[in-house]
Amino acid sequence: MPLRDTIKIMVVDDMTISRQLITMGLDKMGVKNVVPMPGPQAALKALETTPVHLIISDYNMPGMDGLEFLLALRKSERTRKVGFIMVTGEHDPVVADLGKRLGMHNYLKKPFNDVGLKNCIEAVTGPL
Amino acid sequence: MSELDELRGGFFEECEDLLTVLAEGLQQLSDGDDDRETVNAVFRAVHSIKGGAGAFGLDVLVNFAHKFETSLNELRDARIPKSEHVIGVFLRASDILADLVAAMRDETATDDAAIEASLEEIVALIPVKPGAEKVDESYAPMSLDFGADEPAGFEPAALETLDFTPEPVAAIEAPVGPAVWLLTFRPATGLYARGNEPLLLLRALAALGPCEIELDTESLPALGDLGPEDAGLAWRIRLETEAKEEEIFEIFEFVADDCALEAVPAESGPGAAAAEDIPDFAAPAFDAPAFEPAPEPAAAAEPAPAEPAPAKASAPKGEDGGKAGEGKGGDGAKASIRVDTDRIERLVNLAGELVITHAMLTQRIAEAGLARHAAIAEGLDEFRMLTRDVQESVMAIRAQPVRPLFQRMTRIVREAAHATGKSVKLVTDGEGTEVDKTIVERLADPLTHMIRNAVDHGIESAEKRADAGKPSEGTIRLSAAQRSGRIVIEIADDGAGINRPRVLSIAKEKKLIPADAELSDSEIDNLLFMPGFSTAKEVSALSGRGVGMDVVKRAIQALGGRTIISSKPGEGSVFSISLPLTLAVLDGVVVRVADQTLVAPLAAIVETCRPTKADLKRMGPRDHVLLVRGEPLPIVDIGAELGFRPPVESPLDSVLMVAETEGGARCALLVDDIFDQRQVVIKGLEEGFGRTRGVAAATILGDGRIALILDVDALVREASGPHGAGHVMALTG
Repeated sequence: MPLRDTIKIMVVDDMTISRQLITMGLDKMGVKNVVPMPGPQAALKALETTPVHLIISDYNMPGMDGLEFLLALRKSERTRKVGFIMVTGEHDPVVADLGKRLGMHNYLKKPFNDVGLKNCIEAVTGPL
Repeated sequence: MSELDELRGGFFEECEDLLTVLAEGLQQLSDGDDDRETVNAVFRAVHSIKGGAGAFGLDVLVNFAHKFETSLNELRDARIPKSEHVIGVFLRASDILADLVAAMRDETATDDAAIEASLEEIVALIPVKPGAEKVDESYAPMSLDFGADEPAGFEPAALETLDFTPEPVAAIEAPVGPAVWLLTFRPATGLYARGNEPLLLLRALAALGPCEIELDTESLPALGDLGPEDAGLAWRIRLETEAKEEEIFEIFEFVADDCALEAVPAESGPGAAAAEDIPDFAAPAFDAPAFEPAPEPAAAAEPAPAEPAPAKASAPKGEDGGKAGEGKGGDGAKASIRVDTDRIERLVNLAGELVITHAMLTQRIAEAGLARHAAIAEGLDEFRMLTRDVQESVMAIRAQPVRPLFQRMTRIVREAAHATGKSVKLVTDGEGTEVDKTIVERLADPLTHMIRNAVDHGIESAEKRADAGKPSEGTIRLSAAQRSGRIVIEIADDGAGINRPRVLSIAKEKKLIPADAELSDSEIDNLLFMPGFSTAKEVSALSGRGVGMDVVKRAIQALGGRTIISSKPGEGSVFSISLPLTLAVLDGVVVRVADQTLVAPLAAIVETCRPTKADLKRMGPRDHVLLVRGEPLPIVDIGAELGFRPPVESPLDSVLMVAETEGGARCALLVDDIFDQRQVVIKGLEEGFGRTRGVAAATILGDGRIALILDVDALVREASGPHGAGHVMALTG
C-alpha cells in the first residue's frame, strides 16, 4: 500500500478557504485520511482521541499561533513526535528558527500550488 | 476547475467577514482602544485576505494587502505611533482594500489612482530599515519516521542528518500509560481575596484525566466561629493522568502562594491508552529539544497564551480571565457552515407550506365536525406550535446582524464628511440586532442615501454649529432595535433640523401642493418624501445622485417598512425606518368584504367594534365618523376603496376595525365581517400584477382560496371618495 493510503494528515487553519485549498490539494494527491480543523484548540482536543501522522498548520491564527500550537504539541506526551509542517504568509527567519528548535519538519510559504505542497510533504514523509 | 471556482466564491464571502473585522478593529483603535489583540485582529484580517488572494492569483490584491500588512506590522510592533494620522491612513487603506476585493469579485476595473495614492501613504509609514537584507527562504526539511511497524509497502524514509543539531535533551522519562496522583488542595484566605475560583482550578485538573474530587470539611469551623472571609474548605483529589507533575503544578501556578498543595504519586494506574491504535513514531531523530516554558521574546507572542497544556486548552481558563485564548479568537466556540441560500429559500417556502397545510387541516377537521374532539384539538394545537417553531427557526437561519451594514455606513459618513468639509462622527448602537438577510441587503442603498443626506443636509457647517453653541463635530447616531415584532432603525443627527418654511416654499414653488395649503409640521416633513421634491438646486453634488428621498421611501416600502421623520428645529432630525422581522409570514385578521376574503395585518389593527348609533356621528350628507372614546376617526369603506361595491349607506350593519398606521394616524376600516385571526404566508403579487393600490400582497387560505392582504397604511393615507386625503390627514395628522 502506498503511503498516501495509510498516512493520516490533520490540516489546521482558521480560514476556511486556505484550509480547503490544502485539503483539496491533499485530495488530488490521493491522500485518503485528512482531518480538517478550524484552529489549534480544536485540533489539540481532537488529537487527544484521534492521533495523526502529520499536521499541516497555518502560522497566523487567532488565540494561538502556529508556534504556540507546535509548542503545545511538543509538550504533550501523546503528540510529542507528530510531524509538523507550518504554512506561512512570508518567510520570517525568527519563526523558522523557533520552529526548527521545536521540531518543525518543514515550512511552506504561501501562495503555493499543488506541486509545492506535494514537494513539501514528500520532503518530510518520502514519496506518497 | 469548478471546485476552485466554488472556493473562490467562498474566499470572497470570507473576505466580507474579514473586512468587517478590519473596519471594526480600526474603528476601535481610532476610538482609543489600546488592546494589543485589536491590532492583532486587524493585522490577521489583512493577512488572511492576502493569503487567500495569493492562492487565487489576485496579484493586485496581494500587492496592496502586503504593503498594508507590512505597515500594520510596524504598528503592531510599536515602531510607528498609534496617531490619528496613522489610523486615518489605515482607515482609508481599508476602504481601498474593500473596493479592491469587490472589484476582484465582480471582475470590474480598479481605481488605480486611488490605490496608488493609498499605497503611497501606507509605504510612507514604514520606517526605512537600514540595509534590508534578502533573507534566505530555504528551510531544510526534516523527515518523519513512521517506525518499523508500518503496513507493508511503505519504506520509512531514511532519517537525514539535519543542518542543526538538537541540543541534547534530558531524556524524557515518559511513564507509559497514565499514572495516579493523590492531591490535597487547601486554599488559603488570600486565594479567594485575589478573586480566584477553586472550581476553575479543579475543572482544569479534571481536564488532565479522570479524577475523583472529594471535599474536605475537617478544618471548617463551626458556624458561629466562621469568619466571612475565612477559607475553611479543602479538597482531596485522585487524578489519573498521563500529564507530568509539572503540568499538574502548572494549573496551580497562579495560586501557588495562596494555597497548600501536595501531590504524591499513587500506584500506577491501568495502562490502557484510550486512543485509537496508530503506530507510534520512532523517537530518536527529533526528540524535541527541551522546552523552555516561554520561548524567546521574538516569538511575537505573549508568553501567557503559550502556557496552557493541551488538555487544559479546552477547559475554562482560570484566574486571568482567559483573555487571549477565548474572547476574541477561541476556535471551536462557534461552529458554523456555509449554506447555499437557495436551500434556505426552499426551507422557507416549505415552512410556509406547512403553515398553509395546518390551516387546511384545521378547516377540514372543522368541516368534518370534529373540531370539538378534545384529542384532535390538542393535536392540532401542538401541530400549530411546532409549525410556528419551525417557521421561527427557519427565519433565524436567514437572520443576520446588521453589523456589516452599519460598518459600511462608517465609511459613508467618513467620505461624505470629507466631501462636504464637515467634521462628523458616526455612533452606532444595536449592531447585533438581527434582520432577515434580504432586508439587510436591500437596506444598504436607502440607508446610504439617508446617511449621506444626514451629513449633507442635516449637520450644519462648523461655523453655524459654533454659532449655535454646539460642538464643532456633528454626530450621527445609527441604531437598530427590535420593537414589538418589528425592527426599528433610526438615523438621528444633531443638526439644525428640517427647515420647514423652506421645505414648504419649495413644495409650493414646485406645485406639489396647492399654494394655499395649510400643513402640519409632520405633513411638511413628509413632503421630503414626495416624488419630485428634490431638485438640482436643493441637492448638492454629494447626496444628489438623481435619487430623491421618494426613492428611499419606496425602497423601504417594498420591504414592508415605513419611514417616519421627526425633527426639532435646532436640535436635529430623526428618520426612523420600521421593518418587519421577516418577509415571509404575517399575523393577520381574516375579514369578509363584499363576498371577498381579505387579510388585514394584525399589527395595524388596534381594536374592532360593531358600531351603535351612539358611536357614529354624521359628517356631511352621507359620511360618518366613528367616535372612539370621544376621538373622531374617519371611516374608510374597504369595499368601496378597492372597488368591490358602492359605498355602504350606513356603517351600522358593518364591523369597524380601528387601524393605526406606522405614523400614528388612526382610522376605522369598514368590513362586513371578521372570521378569524391566523398566521398567513405572504405571497408577493408585484411580479405578476404590479403594484395595486391598497393591496400589499396575497396569501393562500386553508381552503386553498387566495386572499388579498390589505396595505392598511396606504388605505388610510390614500383614502379617497367620501373622505378625502386632506380630511383624513386633518383629523389624524
